[in-house]
Amino acid sequence: MTAAAVGADSDSGPAETDPTDPTDPAGPGDTDPAGDPLAAYVADLTAALHGPARAKDRMIEEIRGGLEDTADAHIERGVPRYEAIGAAVREFGTVAELVPSCQEELTVAQARYTARVVALTAPFLIACRYLTGVTAQEPAGSVLSTARLLAAHLSGVAIAATLLAAAALAATGTLSRRPSPPARLPVVVAWTGTTAGASMAVTTLALATAAALATNWPLLACAGALAAASHAVVATSARACRRCARLPVLGAPEPG
Amino acid sequence: MKADAVRGHLDGLLLAVLEPGPLHGYAIIAAVQQRSGGVLELRTGTIYPALNRLERTGLLSSSWQSAGERRRRCYELTDEGRRTLAGERTAWNEFTAAIGSVLNPTPPHGLAT
Repeated sequence: MTAAAVGADSDSGPAETDPTDPTDPAGPGDTDPAGDPLAAYVADLTAALHGPARAKDRMIEEIRGGLEDTADAHIERGVPRYEAIGAAVREFGTVAELVPSCQEELTVAQARYTARVVALTAPFLIACRYLTGVTAQEPAGSVLSTARLLAAHLSGVAIAATLLAAAALAATGTLSRRPSPPARLPVVVAWTGTTAGASMAVTTLALATAAALATNWPLLACAGALAAASHAVVATSARACRRCARLPVLGAPEPG
Repeated sequence: MKADAVRGHLDGLLLAVLEPGPLHGYAIIAAVQQRSGGVLELRTGTIYPALNRLERTGLLSSSWQSAGERRRRCYELTDEGRRTLAGERTAWNEFTAAIGSVLNPTPPHGLAT
């Protein structure tokens, strides 16, 4: 963007060229056999970032559009296309320079997604407590009584998970006046989701067992299927959140 | 001015250039560079996650707009964003006034030189 950056393009001599480096201003020119360096940059960035697909796609599309706009501005000033892309990439920063700040936002997006999933599905565990409570009134319900006891404990987990998820959403949304959420928040959300997911798996087993013994088994079987589906969604999101929480982000404390 | 020094003020810079009206990413970058006379060293790619963050916290709103074959996301200040910008300006003016009065003290009137 700066005059110095653009000017540096024409100052570079051919002896310093690197045909594989899209940021090299004296690269192979418009007939680059290696393909489109801008596409390669975007592909590298796409591979390096992790987060919810929609948020990631949006960020990548915006960055790609910004790079194209920047390169176009140089081309309008008479800079050859390959050199213009090299200048645009230098102004944007290398992939390694961009990833921490982009990943920080995607990690928050993943934490918010996981928190939303937990907040929406965990209350289902509370409904299961009511369901097993009703069926446990049936005769010969010792196993069902066990299921009811289990459901009572799991509903406690569900309440805690829902409250934590709601707090995480509040801390990262419009109610938050902090520019960045607490650094440990994604980890907390990830393990909240993992706990909720595990509770849903146990609920699925409890409901399946109860359904085999109860007279009104279709209701319990349906609830078990829903619990299994909830487990799949929550566990997948929690796993993605754990992965994002492990990635380095801007401003994160140095390891060790 | 080095990129590290600029980073702490990035949010205020972005809010300020969006004050006149909506802009897309490249226009925001160009506005920051133009207003600073090219003095600010900024890895311009980092403004995109910053814009996402400001939108998430309710200081900006955005929408996709098509320009030919290219789609661009345009950002504009929300009411909360305008209030935050006013606060940033006040804080910055107080800060620069305090630092300035220390670095460039005005000699008291009547003091012999």
